[in-house]
Amino acid sequence: MSQQLRDRLSKVGLGVWFAAFLVFLYGPVLVMLVLSLQSERGGSGFPAVGVPSGYWYNYLTGPNSSAIRSAVGVSLVLALIVGVIGGALALSLIMAYRRMGRRGGTVLLYLVLLALMTPGILLGLGMILWWKLLGLSPSLYPAGLGVHVVWALPFGFLVMLSIFNRYDVAVEEAARDLGASVMQTFTRVTLPIIWGGVFGAALFAFTLSWNEFERTLLVSTTNTLPLEIYGELTSAALQPNLYALGVITTFGTILLVFLMLIAVALIVRRTARTQAAAFQTEEEAITVAEQARVAPALEGA
Amino acid sequence: MPEPELTPTKSATEGRSGVDSVVPGDIALSDAAGAEIYGEEKGAGHLQAPPGASKLVTLLWMLPGALWLLIFLVAPVIVVLVVSFFTGTITGFKEVFTTSNYSAIFSGSSTYLSTLGTVARNSAIVTAVCLVIGYPVAYFLAVKVKKTQYAFGLFLIALAPFFTSTLIRAEAWIPTMSINGAVNSILKDIGIIHHPLGILLFSNFAVIVALVQLLVLFMVTPIFFQLAALDRSAIEAARDLGASGFRVFMNVTLPLTRGGIMIGCVFVFVLSMGDFATYKLVGGGSVGSIGLNIQNLVSLLNYPQAAAQAAILVVAMAIGVVLLLRFAKLQEQV
Repeated sequence: MSQQLRDRLSKVGLGVWFAAFLVFLYGPVLVMLVLSLQSERGGSGFPAVGVPSGYWYNYLTGPNSSAIRSAVGVSLVLALIVGVIGGALALSLIMAYRRMGRRGGTVLLYLVLLALMTPGILLGLGMILWWKLLGLSPSLYPAGLGVHVVWALPFGFLVMLSIFNRYDVAVEEAARDLGASVMQTFTRVTLPIIWGGVFGAALFAFTLSWNEFERTLLVSTTNTLPLEIYGELTSAALQPNLYALGVITTFGTILLVFLMLIAVALIVRRTARTQAAAFQTEEEAITVAEQARVAPALEGA
Repeated sequence: MPEPELTPTKSATEGRSGVDSVVPGDIALSDAAGAEIYGEEKGAGHLQAPPGASKLVTLLWMLPGALWLLIFLVAPVIVVLVVSFFTGTITGFKEVFTTSNYSAIFSGSSTYLSTLGTVARNSAIVTAVCLVIGYPVAYFLAVKVKKTQYAFGLFLIALAPFFTSTLIRAEAWIPTMSINGAVNSILKDIGIIHHPLGILLFSNFAVIVALVQLLVLFMVTPIFFQLAALDRSAIEAARDLGASGFRVFMNVTLPLTRGGIMIGCVFVFVLSMGDFATYKLVGGGSVGSIGLNIQNLVSLLNYPQAAAQAAILVVAMAIGVVLLLRFAKLQEQV
């Protein structure tokens, strides 16, 4: 077998593997999609009855779903707050991280990894015990909000890290050399370049909070949407309305994530272009300055 | 700034154009180049430190995030360890030191250790399966898909489910794997089975399948990024020297992606050890997990016992991670 043929075969084989992987990844939610489109008589399993029908989606707007709707409200408000705080903290932590030495930076990085790896149920348990020791009773605010931000922060931090990996500090040096204060440099130079990353971090935080379940379970006394879904899944008989809800949440999240990633990709590209342009003018300036310095020396000779 | 005005900037220009010629269109500087050019302390190992980095400014940036993580992450984790040594009461705990929470776990009548064993074995299986499934996926995207835009586009399609709800991803297995679920009806329709398979849901098998699907992206992502950043010239050199595709993979590509594999394994292992939702919904109560134990104990207000179980879970996770790193001798690689 020639080398080329073998390359072609391995590519096709791996392509098939990848396609199967996508089926594995998306299959179950597509099954939910099919069953959520059943008519009124549809149940939790196959055969699907009366596909397609919007009955179970309409059901979510009806009187039987008022608990779900109020949970949606709770989750929406919480996710918005987590988004704002998560984006702001990711920004401030990365600004600190850039300035820290190797050792401090490593400590911060490990702290962020701890936030990522601590099992949700353990963090929830720790939170209620910690609040009890303080004489407080756990609730959605601030205990639930606190653990949500902890969950969202690592992802926001990683987004900011990827932005600053492609960022050249020379623009800030130029601003400082031209007499801008630290504050001015931040608001006029740094922030306009990286705001897209902050926005991305905030959207990540929003999405993660909206879908968070394990950290909230023990802490919250108010039902967020995932807690409401969990309650219905474990108590009542499964009805296709929960499939409809799952489908809406899943595809809504995916849409949001794509929008966010596109925004970040655009900002990274624009950052690169802006900075490249800045360098060109900077190089011209250096050439001029260079000539100005060299000229008198030549004259002197 | 008291630095001489022109010299550093001039060398900066030279350094930059030097890098430009190597990586056209990419203005990012390598760490070494950045530090050398600017003659400044490197920030946190690999980011360029901004100018005028006074300690106070750093502290102010650090403070809100550090406080938040201290109050809502570090303190709760420490409190779990502390309360695991407190005495339980009817309504919670009193601050009297005891080791009875641990002796209860290690006594013969407790099922904790066998549950922990099952969870650890499941996590090891899940990690191995994620590696076997995930590596070819990452390899296909990073190496076989030639156009970078397509590779990243396909990667994002694979990544998107990660951000969706773990709860709903667990829920979705119910209509997929149940007695009258999709898999059983398809298998029946094409005549492979005549009676639906009960083992597909509410079983240990189901938990493993669901955990693999939930966590496999933690394996794909680090391997994908490492493969994408791989120096292709090493592979081409091996090819030019006559190595077969398989040998190139085993002797060049695989060793060079060891770091990504390790990160993936650690993430998948740790996250599956601490899982709750999948065990609860897909295991359906037939498979015990530490997460379920903890939730039950909390609902019984037996906080010290829950804390002790959580503490041992953390220790078991740490041991697993250390073994994993030892096994791969990561220290020698880095």
